[in-house]
Amino acid sequence: MIESRRRGIVLLSLGLALACATLLAIKVGSVSLPPWAVARSVLDRFFPWRLPGAGLDEIGEVILWDVRVPRVLLALLVGGGLAIVGAALQSVFRNPMAEAGLLGVGSGAAFGAVLAFQLGWAAQIFFAAPMAAFVGALGATLLVYALSHLMGRPSLSRLLLTGLAVSAFAGAATAVLLVATDEYRVKTVLFWLAGGLEGRSWAHVQSGAGFIIVGSLALFALSRPLDVLSLGEEEAASLGLRVHLVRLTILGLASLVAGAATAVAGSVPFVGLVAPHALRPLVGPRGRHLLPAAFLAGALLVILADVASRCINTRIDLPLGSLTAFIGAPYFLLALRGSEGRE
Amino acid sequence: MNANIRRALFQGCIVLISLHTATAVAGSPTSTPRRVASLFLAADEVLVAILPLDRLVAVTAMADDETMSNVVGRVPSSATRFHRADVERLIALRPDLVVVSEFNDADFLHLLGRSGLRTHRFEGVHSIAGIRRAIISLGRAVGETRAARELVARMDARLSRLETRLAGAPRPRVLYWSSPFTAGSDTAIGALIECGGGVNAAREAGVTGLAPIGAERALAIDPDATLVNAPDEESAPLSRHPSLSHLRAVRQGRVVAVPTRHLVALSHHAADACVFVAHALHPDRVSGVVDD
Repeated sequence: MIESRRRGIVLLSLGLALACATLLAIKVGSVSLPPWAVARSVLDRFFPWRLPGAGLDEIGEVILWDVRVPRVLLALLVGGGLAIVGAALQSVFRNPMAEAGLLGVGSGAAFGAVLAFQLGWAAQIFFAAPMAAFVGALGATLLVYALSHLMGRPSLSRLLLTGLAVSAFAGAATAVLLVATDEYRVKTVLFWLAGGLEGRSWAHVQSGAGFIIVGSLALFALSRPLDVLSLGEEEAASLGLRVHLVRLTILGLASLVAGAATAVAGSVPFVGLVAPHALRPLVGPRGRHLLPAAFLAGALLVILADVASRCINTRIDLPLGSLTAFIGAPYFLLALRGSEGRE
Repeated sequence: MNANIRRALFQGCIVLISLHTATAVAGSPTSTPRRVASLFLAADEVLVAILPLDRLVAVTAMADDETMSNVVGRVPSSATRFHRADVERLIALRPDLVVVSEFNDADFLHLLGRSGLRTHRFEGVHSIAGIRRAIISLGRAVGETRAARELVARMDARLSRLETRLAGAPRPRVLYWSSPFTAGSDTAIGALIECGGGVNAAREAGVTGLAPIGAERALAIDPDATLVNAPDEESAPLSRHPSLSHLRAVRQGRVVAVPTRHLVALSHHAADACVFVAHALHPDRVSGVVDD
C-alpha cells in the first residue's frame, strides 16, 4: 500500500515536472516571447475561449509553432523513447548498464548519417540524414542479430559481444568516412554526431513520433513478459514464456524506437541508462511501473538538457548529447560508488 | 452559360485567388529582396560589394574577424551578426532572402522554408569559374545582376593581368599542407595554387578534394614549394617538423605562409589571394603583396 502510494507520488511528480519543463522550454529561446502572449497563442490553438491582452505577432507565431514547439515535442519523444528502451533492455539483459548502444543502434545510425553527409545527400535531399541514420541503426541491429545466430540460438553474452563487435566495426567505418569528408562539412557532421535538436521541424516530429510512440506502447504492453524474462532465461522458460520469441520482439521494438530517436536527434547518450536506473529504487523493477516512469524521466531529462543547450551559451548551441553525458556520467559514477559502498 | 460551367469558373477563380494570396504571403520568388541575411562568410563578402548596405540585415560573426574576413569594418553595425545559424533570431529579422552555403543541410533549409523564409545557396566555389558563377547567381537572387557582373569583370581583369605577368614563367610544383591534410583537385586551395602560378603537386599525385596524405607521402611528392596557413606556420613551423623539415622546399626556405583570410577567400577576394601566392612564388614577376 505504501509502495503503491509512493509510486503514485513519483509518477505524479514526474508528470508535473514534465509539464513545467515543457512550458519552460516553449517559453525560453534566443528570441524573447512574452509568456502571456505564448499562453494565449497555445490556448487559441486548442480551446474555443480567448485570453484578454495582446497575442503574438505573425513572426512570434512562426517562431513558436514552427521552431520551438516541434523542437520541444521532439525532445520529449526522444528522451522518453530512449529511456523506455533502456528500461526494457536492462530487464532483458538483466544488467543495469544495458542500453540501445549494445544493439549497435548508435554506431549504425552514426555510420548511416555520416555516409549521407559524405556523399552530399544530406545537403541536397530533405530528410536524407535522418533516413540514412535510421537505415544504419536497423541495419546494424539486423547484423548483430544475424551474426549472433550463425551458431544457433544465441546466449545473452553472445548477443552482447556481437553487438560490441558490430559497434566497433561501424565506428571504424564512420572514422574512415569522417576523414574522407570535406573539411567544411565535417563540422556539420560532428554536430550531428554530438546530438542536437537545432533545425528540426514538424517533419522530424511526424516521422519519429510514429515509431517512438507505437514502439513505446508495444514495449509497455510487453511489461509482464519483460518481468518474467528478468528472472533469467531458464526460469522464464519454466514459467512457459517463449523466451526466444519474446526477446526477439523486445529487441526489435527497442531498435525501432532507439533508431528513430537517434535518427532525428543524433547521439543522445546516458538517457537510457540514467532514467531507468534512477527510477528503479523509487517505483520498483516491475515493467508496468518502471517503463512509464522511465519515459517521463527520460523526456524530462532531454527537455531540460535542450533548454540548457540553448541558454548556457547564446553564441553556440551546445551539443545536446554532450549535456546529457555531462549530467549522466557523474550521476552514474555516484551511483556506482553508492552500490559499491553498500556491497 | 449553364450552371456547371459557372460553378467551374467560380471554383477556378477561387483557386487563382488562393494561389495569389499564398504567393503574396510567402513572398514572390521573383520579387527583389529588400532585406538580405547571409549565413556564409563568402556571401557576406560578395553582398558587401554588390548590395546597398542598408539592405544587408545580417552577416556571419566571422565578417568582423580580422584573420578570416576580407570585409572587416565594412559591414554596418546595424546588421545582426550570427555566430551560429539561429533559426529563431533569423525569423525575427524578417529577411526576404537568406543566403546559405552548400554545406547547410537540406533539413535546415526545409525548416527555413516552412517558416516562410526564401533561401539562396552560394555554392560550387571550388574553382575560380565556380566562384564566378556563384557571384552572378547571388547577384541575380538579390536583384543586383549588373553589380555582380561588374564585380566579376573586375576580378577577371585582375586575374587576366596576373596571368599575363606569369606567362612563360616556370611553374613550381606546390603542395598545400595542413597536417596531415592536403588539397588535391576540385578544391579552392588547389585553384589558388594554379592561379598563383604554381602546379598543384597533390593534384598531380592523384589526390582529390581535401584529403589526409601523411608526412611520408608528402616527402615522396617532393614539391618545389609548400603552401601553409600562416597561423599554423607561426605556431609550428615546418622547419621544426620531425619529418617534413627534410623536405627540399622547406630546407630551401620555400614555405609560403598564406594568411587565413586568403586561404578561405571563396568570393571575388580570391583574386587577392592569387596575387599574394603569385608574389610569393614569382617575386621577380609580381610585385607587392596583394597589389597587381
